[in-house]
This record gives sequence, C-alpha cells and structure tokens, in this order.
Amino acid sequence: MPGTVAELPLAGVSVVEMSRGVAAAYAGRLLATLGAETILVEPPEGTALRREPPLLPPSHQSSALFAYLACGKKSVICEETPAGRAELSALLAGADILVHDLDTSQRTSLGLDEDTVRRRYPNLIDTSVLPFGAFGPKAGWHGEEINLIHASGEGFLLPNGLSAELFPDRPPLKIFGHFACYQGGVVAALGALCALASGERKGQRVDVSVQDAALAVGAFALQRLGDGSLEHRHTRSFKYGGVLQCADGYVELLTLEDRQWRGLVKLMGSPEWALDPALSDSLERSRRGTEINRAIRSWARLERTADVVARAQALGVPMAKYSNPAEVVFDPHEGARGLFEPIEIPEAGRLPVLVAPFHVDGAPLALGGGPPRLGQHQHLLQAQRRRRVATAEAT
Amino acid sequence: MKPLAGIRIADFTLHAAGPFCTHMLSQLGAECIKIESAARPDIFRKSHPVYGRMGPASFDQVAANKLSVRINLKDAKGIALTKKLVGASDLVCESFRPGVMERLGLGYATLKGLKPSIVMVSVSSSGQSGPDSHFAGYAPLFGAWGALGTLTGYEDGPPVEMRHAMDHSVGMTAAMVAVAAIHRLRQTGQGSHVDVSAREVACSLVGEALLLAAAGGKPSRIGNDHLRMAPHGVFATREDDRWITIAVRSDEEWQQLAQLMNAPHLATDPRFATESERHRNRRALDAEIETWTRTRDAVQLEQAIQAIGVAAHLSCNMRDIAEDRHLRDRGVVVDVDDTEGRKRAALHVPIRFGNAEVGIERGTPRLGEDEDYVFGDLLGLSTEERQSLVDQQVIY
Repeated sequence: MPGTVAELPLAGVSVVEMSRGVAAAYAGRLLATLGAETILVEPPEGTALRREPPLLPPSHQSSALFAYLACGKKSVICEETPAGRAELSALLAGADILVHDLDTSQRTSLGLDEDTVRRRYPNLIDTSVLPFGAFGPKAGWHGEEINLIHASGEGFLLPNGLSAELFPDRPPLKIFGHFACYQGGVVAALGALCALASGERKGQRVDVSVQDAALAVGAFALQRLGDGSLEHRHTRSFKYGGVLQCADGYVELLTLEDRQWRGLVKLMGSPEWALDPALSDSLERSRRGTEINRAIRSWARLERTADVVARAQALGVPMAKYSNPAEVVFDPHEGARGLFEPIEIPEAGRLPVLVAPFHVDGAPLALGGGPPRLGQHQHLLQAQRRRRVATAEAT
Repeated sequence: MKPLAGIRIADFTLHAAGPFCTHMLSQLGAECIKIESAARPDIFRKSHPVYGRMGPASFDQVAANKLSVRINLKDAKGIALTKKLVGASDLVCESFRPGVMERLGLGYATLKGLKPSIVMVSVSSSGQSGPDSHFAGYAPLFGAWGALGTLTGYEDGPPVEMRHAMDHSVGMTAAMVAVAAIHRLRQTGQGSHVDVSAREVACSLVGEALLLAAAGGKPSRIGNDHLRMAPHGVFATREDDRWITIAVRSDEEWQQLAQLMNAPHLATDPRFATESERHRNRRALDAEIETWTRTRDAVQLEQAIQAIGVAAHLSCNMRDIAEDRHLRDRGVVVDVDDTEGRKRAALHVPIRFGNAEVGIERGTPRLGEDEDYVFGDLLGLSTEERQSLVDQQVIY
C-alpha cells in the first residue's frame, strides 16, 4: 500500500453540504477527499441516500451508494425548528462553501433563498446543483438519472457496437448507475473551487445543472452535428473491433492506427484473410468492416481474456478486458496505486472503498474516515454556536 | 472577471481527454497556450475519414478558446524554448504516455527545479505509476478496465462501449483537481503534480457497485431498470425512434401517473400497489406504460408528466439539444463561427456564476496563430531570434 498525500490541496477549507441526490453528494465527497472539512447536514430521519440501494450484504442495513458518497464527511442533524435553523446558520457563517440540491421552494422554507444567503453569509460560495439547474424554463423540472442522461443526448446514442447490432429494436440504453449525476457532482465541485480560487467570493453563486454537465462531456456529438452528421446509436459503431466475446468473458479491441492493425494481424497468428494487401489501407478496412468482424469474432471466441489481453498489449494492440467489479477491486495495478482504502462502514464492516481517480504529488489521497453515522458529529454544532456567540460578544 | 484570470497554462495535451480539461480551464479564464508542431499536429488538424471528414476541422470544440504555438519537441532548442514558456506559466498539462515527458527532459522533477510553484497535470490511460502504467488505451478501453462498460448493457446482452463522454469525463475530473491545486498555489505558493488515471475515472463512476462487489454482492447489467423505482424506463411514443423517459419515485407519484393515464384499474391493481410490488412486476408495468405512451406525442407526454410532478424527459438527439430553449437560455448551448464563417452550435463550460462571465471567446486557432504574442510579447524573443528558430525547424 503506497503512502498518502501529506498536505491536502483543500486543507483548511470548510464545506457545508445539504444533499438529497447523488450529484450534490458527490461534489461534497470530492471536496472532502481533497482535504476540505465537509459537514453533511441531515434531517432527523437522515438523508434519503442512506436508504438508497444497493444495500451492503450480509445485513442489508447500509447503502453502498451512501457509504461511497459519504466517506470522510461529518454528519449533523438540523431540525426545521428555530433552534435547528440557528445551528445551521452558525455552520454557514463559518463555512467557505455551501453545496446543495435545494430547489427554490425548499430554499425559501429553510430561509436560504439566494438573497438571504448573500446578505447573511457574504463570504459563502453558494453552489447549487439541480437536475436542470436553478435558472431557465426547466429550472423547476423533475429529473432522475434516466431522464437526465437522455436530456443530455448521451442516452439516445447508446448502446452502440455489438449490443446495438444484437438488439436493434430495443429502446436506447442508459449508462449504468448514476453517470450523469456524477458529472453534475464533478462540475459542481469545479464551480465551487473556481469561486474559491478566484479570491472574489463576495456573494458568489454557482449554478450547475446535471443536464448541462452530462451534455458537456457529450460535446463530441454536438461537434458532429456542426460537421453535418446527426449521430445515431445504430451508425456510430466502430467499423470493426469493439466488444468481442472470448471463451471466458468479453474484451474491447480498438485499432485506430495502421501499426495497431498490423499488431492485431500478428496477434491472430497472421491468418491468410488478414494478409490481403488491400487491407493495409484503413479506408478499405472500414469498407470491409463486417467481413473483418466476422473473422475477428470467430477467432476471439476461442481465446481466454487474460491471455489475449497480455499478448495484445505486448504487441501494442489496444485491448482491455471487460473487468467485472470484483476484478477491479482486487486488481494488482489498482492495489499498487492505492485506489481503494479499507474503511469501517457501520453495519457492514471493514471494506475497500474507492478513494479518488487521481494522485496528488505522487501519492493517493486518503478518505479520512468512513461514512458517518447519522448525527455522529452533533457536537460540532454546539462548538460552532459557542464560537459564534463568543465572536458576537467580543465585537 | 473570470475566476481563473491570471493563470497561464502550457498545454501539451492531445486528442480528447486532456484537451477537454484545458478547454474547461480556458473557458473559466485561464490563458491556455496549446503546443503542437507541423510534424505532430493534434488530430483535429488532420482528416478523419472514419467520420467522413476529409480535411482539418473548421471548428473543434476542445481546441476552441486556446492560443496556438509551434514548438518542435524533438529538438534540444525546442526543449529550451519550452522551458522558457513553462517558466512563464502556472500550469503544465500533458496527456502523453507516462515517461514521455521525462524522456523529453520535461518531467515534473525537472520542471519543479525550474519553477517550484509549477502545477503539472498529467492525464493518462492508467496513471503515472503501477504495473499497467505503460498500457495504451482509448475511451472504450477505460470503460472496460474500470467496469463502467461491463456494467452498462441490457440484462441479457453484452457489455457496452463507452465513447467520447468517457474521455471528457476524465478531462472534467482533471479540470476539477487542477483548480484544487490552483487554490493551494494561490494560498501557499506551493506547486503540485496531479496524476489523473482515465480507467480510474471510469471506476469512480461506479464506485458504489465496486463497493457492493467488495462486500460479496453481485452488481450486474440491468438495462434501463432502477434498483428501486418502477415504472422506470425508456418508452416508445407515436413517432418512430422518438422515446420518452419516465421515473416514478413514490407511491404518490404512481397514483398521479395512473390518473394522468386515465387508468383507475392500474391505480388499484395490487400488482402495482407498492414500490416493491411494482418493481417485482415491472415488466407487466412497463407494458402498460408503453401501451399508453405509444399512441402519444413525446413532447406532449413530457410536458403532461412534468406537470403532475413526475420526472420525465424526451430522449434528445443532438438536433433537439442544439435548438433547446432551456439550454440556450442558460447559455450552455451557444452559436459560434467556424473558420469558414459558418455558424454552428457549440457548448460553453457548464457552470453559471452569479458575478462572472465565462465561456468561449474565440474559435479554433490556426497552427502557430499566436506566436507573435507568446514568443514575442511573453517570452521577449526578437523577430530575428524567432526567424532563426523557424529556419532551424525549432519553431516548426
């Protein structure tokens, strides 16, 4: 296990998170893992994410989603009472960033509408991440992951490749899990950090929409529209290669360059069909993609994934195994990079949790603790209030 | 003022993931200087017959808003010129295979020696360390390694290839960490090396499934299903290949929807009475929903379902996106001019600030378009010095 980063980039930064959905929770998680003290403010029954599937076996009491999203955060309960509001207010007065997914009516009922926040907490970066954002004709619209991945255009374009070929008449397919919402989280963290780094925080508001964020990472399809092509899942497949079924699972093969194609021919044992001189031309290969695919697929069916991927990478042929999740968790490469950290999860025990997909200064980051129990850090509220009262008396 | 105004980036990134990172940072106010050479131009400057493009792109989203200079990195004088440029920059971004920057004499240790406050952002397939760090990869491979592609697919079908959205997710994550490093730089003057692994970004997008697997659970492909909600899916409408997505989050919402469908028999059907019953009987439920949607217009459905407070949206193609009033009003979809003077839709950075204007200010730069400013004004090279470097194919 490698060592971890000594001094985190966001050391000394204080974040208050009020989240119900994945996007705001992931933004808070990224900020926490980068070193910010992140306090999750929950209602007395806890955030809904605590009950969201999948639940962790064997007790099925603890949400894997919440555990992943809440590692390293602190939890306090703020009731919707005058005392609860005063506690929340003290927290916000001492925070650098508020990240939340409150809609306009919730903001008003909590006394956290934009103007009030700006007036009462002039140095707080007010970061909102909503399905369709806080502004615009659809600002109040409801959106879950499946709606948002399709509202951003990526949903319509999936599946491609083998899956689209096998099931041409089925409805388009979402990406697994919470892809669009995770993008919303990354973008909300990016926005909050820009405001923080700018040094011009006074009354800074950051408005992020999950739809916008997912659309941003799907930019290439809009690029293609400008180039004159309306992308479609049935026509955007690679002409050959892609998902290949092997004897014990699937691999991905993508040869974009001539030298990679030559490596592939070698990998397949230089079969006669592949030595056709016409196939040394990439355009000709594109034209004869179906025929090439037939041959590649029947070759791949007899191969074993681990063996063929190792041989391919040695020949410079871009190929990867479609790893199942357990293989990723116990992958030697990821072990060497410290991608996972064993963490105590209430009602589930000690389990490896993904830390972050990046290193800083040559080392992985650390989670700084497991997911908090509901209200585990309630003492922070009293401490904040005491501090605030003391400051008020001193001035 | 843009939030990252005053930050300068020496940008060595190529292809998709790395350039997307610096494209975001440039729209947020950083001055991004893209370094290429005539011998090794970025892909958008070449033809791409697979996509039917027979010449350079007239607009390239991820290259937009950047300045362009030529430096031949195969030449020692080119490396010396690069070091001057790094000395005048705050960030260095690169997306070569791990080890290439070191071989060029531009590794982090060297640059840090040159300028201790430098922030270097490296984007690669599998990260800078670990046994697979030398692996070559593209977006579909990142998705395969990281299990995101493995888990995406119909229940009875194969895994699904991730495409550009995967690359750009990597770039977006890289931009986020880069700004965290910029914050520290501005607070303490401390530089850093940020190492983003594309396959780990794929992993991070299924972190909950990886945790479930670690606990002995078996996450698997579930198509458009949700683990809890039903109805939840993509449904056919009156028009061919025009789909509506619907997600019902509670029993109350289900009752509302049944009423909108004018289907009291469904509202009272015990198979659909509770969330867990609806989930168990979701195939039968899907069929009922689609019987209703199939004779209706997708946009009208979307409006009517949203009006009762249930999550629904059209499955948008890119023409829908380009013309969308909401996205236009938010300033996310904008019109830009390409190099041939034609208007086209492009995307602004997906963040709206209360008191800062961000976004694209200029299109795709011509190769070497900004050398007067960069080599002349910024680095103080005289016209003669520059001409000499051009003659020696250092500026090339």
